[in-house]
Amino acid sequence: MLRITGGKVYDPANNINGQIKDICISDGRIVSEVEGGRTIDATGMIVFPGGVDVHTHVAGAALNFARAMIPEDHRRNAPYVRGERHRGGIGGATPTTYVTGYLYAGMGWTTVNEAAVPILSARHTHEELRDTPIVDKSCCVLLANNEILLDLLEAGETERARHVAAWQIWAAKAYGVKAVNPGGVAAWKWGKDAKGLYEPVPGYNKVTPAKIIAALASIVDDLGLPHPLHLHCNNLGAPGNYNTTLETMKVLEGKRAHLAHLQYHAYGGDDWFTMRSKSAEVADYFNAHPNLTTDAGAVLFGNTVTITADGPWQHLLYKLTGRKWGNLDVENETGCGIVPYVYKEKNLVNAVQWAVGLELLLLINDPWRVFLTTDHPNGAAFWRYPEIIQLLMDVNFRREQLKKLAPKALKRILLPELDRQYTLSEIAVITSAGPARALGLAHKGHLGIGADADVAIFNDSKDIARMFAYPRYVIKGGEVVIEEGEIRKAVEGRGYVVRPVYDEKIEDYIRPLFQQYYTMSFDNYPVELERLENPDIRSC
Amino acid sequence: MGGKVTCTLGEVKNRADLIVYWGGNPAECHPRHFTKYTLTQKGKFVPKGRKDRTMILVDIRETPSAKAADIFLQVRPSKDFEVLTTLRALIKGQRVSAETVAETGLTLEQLQDFAERMKKARFGVLFFGMGLSMTRGKHMNSAALLSLAAELNAFTKFVAMPMRGHGNVTGGDVVMRWTTGYPFGVNLSRGYPRFNPGEFSTVDLLLRGDNDAALILGADPGATMPQPAIDHLARIPTIVLDPKVTHTSRLARVHITTAATGISAPGTVYRMDEIPLPLRPALKSPYPTDEDVVRRIYKAVAKKPAWFPGTK
Ligand SMILES: [Zn+2]
Repeated sequence: MLRITGGKVYDPANNINGQIKDICISDGRIVSEVEGGRTIDATGMIVFPGGVDVHTHVAGAALNFARAMIPEDHRRNAPYVRGERHRGGIGGATPTTYVTGYLYAGMGWTTVNEAAVPILSARHTHEELRDTPIVDKSCCVLLANNEILLDLLEAGETERARHVAAWQIWAAKAYGVKAVNPGGVAAWKWGKDAKGLYEPVPGYNKVTPAKIIAALASIVDDLGLPHPLHLHCNNLGAPGNYNTTLETMKVLEGKRAHLAHLQYHAYGGDDWFTMRSKSAEVADYFNAHPNLTTDAGAVLFGNTVTITADGPWQHLLYKLTGRKWGNLDVENETGCGIVPYVYKEKNLVNAVQWAVGLELLLLINDPWRVFLTTDHPNGAAFWRYPEIIQLLMDVNFRREQLKKLAPKALKRILLPELDRQYTLSEIAVITSAGPARALGLAHKGHLGIGADADVAIFNDSKDIARMFAYPRYVIKGGEVVIEEGEIRKAVEGRGYVVRPVYDEKIEDYIRPLFQQYYTMSFDNYPVELERLENPDIRSC
Repeated sequence: MGGKVTCTLGEVKNRADLIVYWGGNPAECHPRHFTKYTLTQKGKFVPKGRKDRTMILVDIRETPSAKAADIFLQVRPSKDFEVLTTLRALIKGQRVSAETVAETGLTLEQLQDFAERMKKARFGVLFFGMGLSMTRGKHMNSAALLSLAAELNAFTKFVAMPMRGHGNVTGGDVVMRWTTGYPFGVNLSRGYPRFNPGEFSTVDLLLRGDNDAALILGADPGATMPQPAIDHLARIPTIVLDPKVTHTSRLARVHITTAATGISAPGTVYRMDEIPLPLRPALKSPYPTDEDVVRRIYKAVAKKPAWFPGTK
């Protein structure tokens, strides 16, 4: 039992905006009253629901591939020395699994959604998530380049495609469905891409990216998944791609969808020399369409590594940087590319990217539909979120940062004209309440009676980046996990899974195809539920 | 260039029309490779199987794998790096003189033909074995081959994959990466992972005699390592977990017999393309699993007073 007293509570889901209020916790949940137990005096502090990351890459084959590629980054960053209550490890752009849990919790985040999981290596992803302590976890399975599904769409068999997709979601022990560069990754298997939304995907006659997007969004809605289709649009990163993004949003009319890392999809210009921000156009359309949510995918200057299932984009990035390139095509399902990258203030393209991430966060007027992410580690490592919070809350700080850009860059962006400043309550929305709602996790992201007792307590200070980087207390499932800058208890997290309804006979359809095109035994394909630590099957 | 352009084995099965094995002898070392993944399988986009594929073998001697190849290229020992560099130049249309090629044991025509075949392939794959990665040039050879595969993507689809073996070595590598950030050669003595192959790799530690105890699992270094390293293992308290008697268990202070993983103990094995496969034991064993034993050792060690970096 635990009582938090004297703190200013920010619980936007329950319309509580900085009132001083006791929060009582018993058996891992928020309750109305407790007798006895520990009391935390939060006088002079602010109380937030634990952070929820709607889109991050923290586990699985692609990230683990990246870890092997950047030993120089591991050395550059401070090591994590083992202690009595925690393991040693490495931080940096691709933290080791245990350190990932410590770093998220150490910043007040208590739930993460791993955004890209191939079915074929989902067992590996779950093994890593199991070794990621403290935070609760969910993951999205990659389906937009799955050839069994694309072949069904080519044949017009949408009904069967729904059963296959439902089977695949359960086989991967996933929580949601991710679509990455629909059709483009399948085309990349022949070294090609899918750039036009209405052009057939190479190797198909009728399947277009638009068709894949519409079909998957409908399947996810029909299956009643708690989280809508999680979509990485076509033409990520390319100058002029805002048109593709606008077209994609039109395809999605009447359907729910979450657009991942919108920053990478809101550029104008014809090439790298003329690239400019089109955040206003994208935000305007987005503002008018409440069926959509998004996350920023914001960029911060510095070293990182980019990891995406978007293989063709990564090949281009390798050609641009001439540095390391990792590529891993996954049979019949997806692929991934890895390129270490440095975002530089004086680089025009990077300056536009930095500005666009912030612009979208400032121009999208409903904080319940835009969430704080960096598409970790693509735009920056997740442990740099407090820097973005500072940029959002302090217009003067933002103006200072703008001075570091090349003067030429200022003509390509809107940021200098934007003077909106986020309030603490809005920060609580974009870091917790909003993403929890988008994920369909009703017991997360708020501090109402019955909610999971995931709470972050920060000093109420003028030094925004610092106060959010170093919470005074973090409580996960009712247990104090962080206190006075130290890990007090590395509890185990839960794994959220959905089990959508499908016709059991669909396996008879999948099995022979699998035996023909794959290279493992069919029985070994689905991930056993026992692989997850504390699985929590959500209804849909 | 660093990194690796690769794929899972099913991509090779379904698409590869050019298959190159370099410095390896799959016919004897990976006997199922041809039939399960590469040569003889009928794939989605290579429906005629073997007839739709061309295989090139590059090695310093004619092994039984040469019989399976359409083209066998015999390289002079220690000249792999030169051949790879020449191929990288040829695919980019750079001029190469016949004399420089001669020292590799191959002719310029052979290499020009090889380069053309790679560029014209629809989907090409370079498998490389220890004959490339563990001979003169070592990681420089692997890097040259990985660069060749990456650069070929300017013309067509090309991937590369190391031919790994020795039980679950890939699984060990994968788990080390997610727990320590590094694949092998990790030193935890300062309380955090440090990586330095050549300094912290097992063989280097043993040769220098740096370690004063050894716990050995799923490996038989007593059969493969240089004699001074083996001598050091015999000198120190060495504990071996193994279902059977091995060279290492014979010289060890303690040999704990464990259940054979995959036969009488469950677990996960990572394939050479890093796809995890669950193991379902067919038999029961009277012996504990490796995991059981390690957990029990850990529990016993945990009762000792803890040592943390910075404390005495
Ligand atoms: Zn992402």
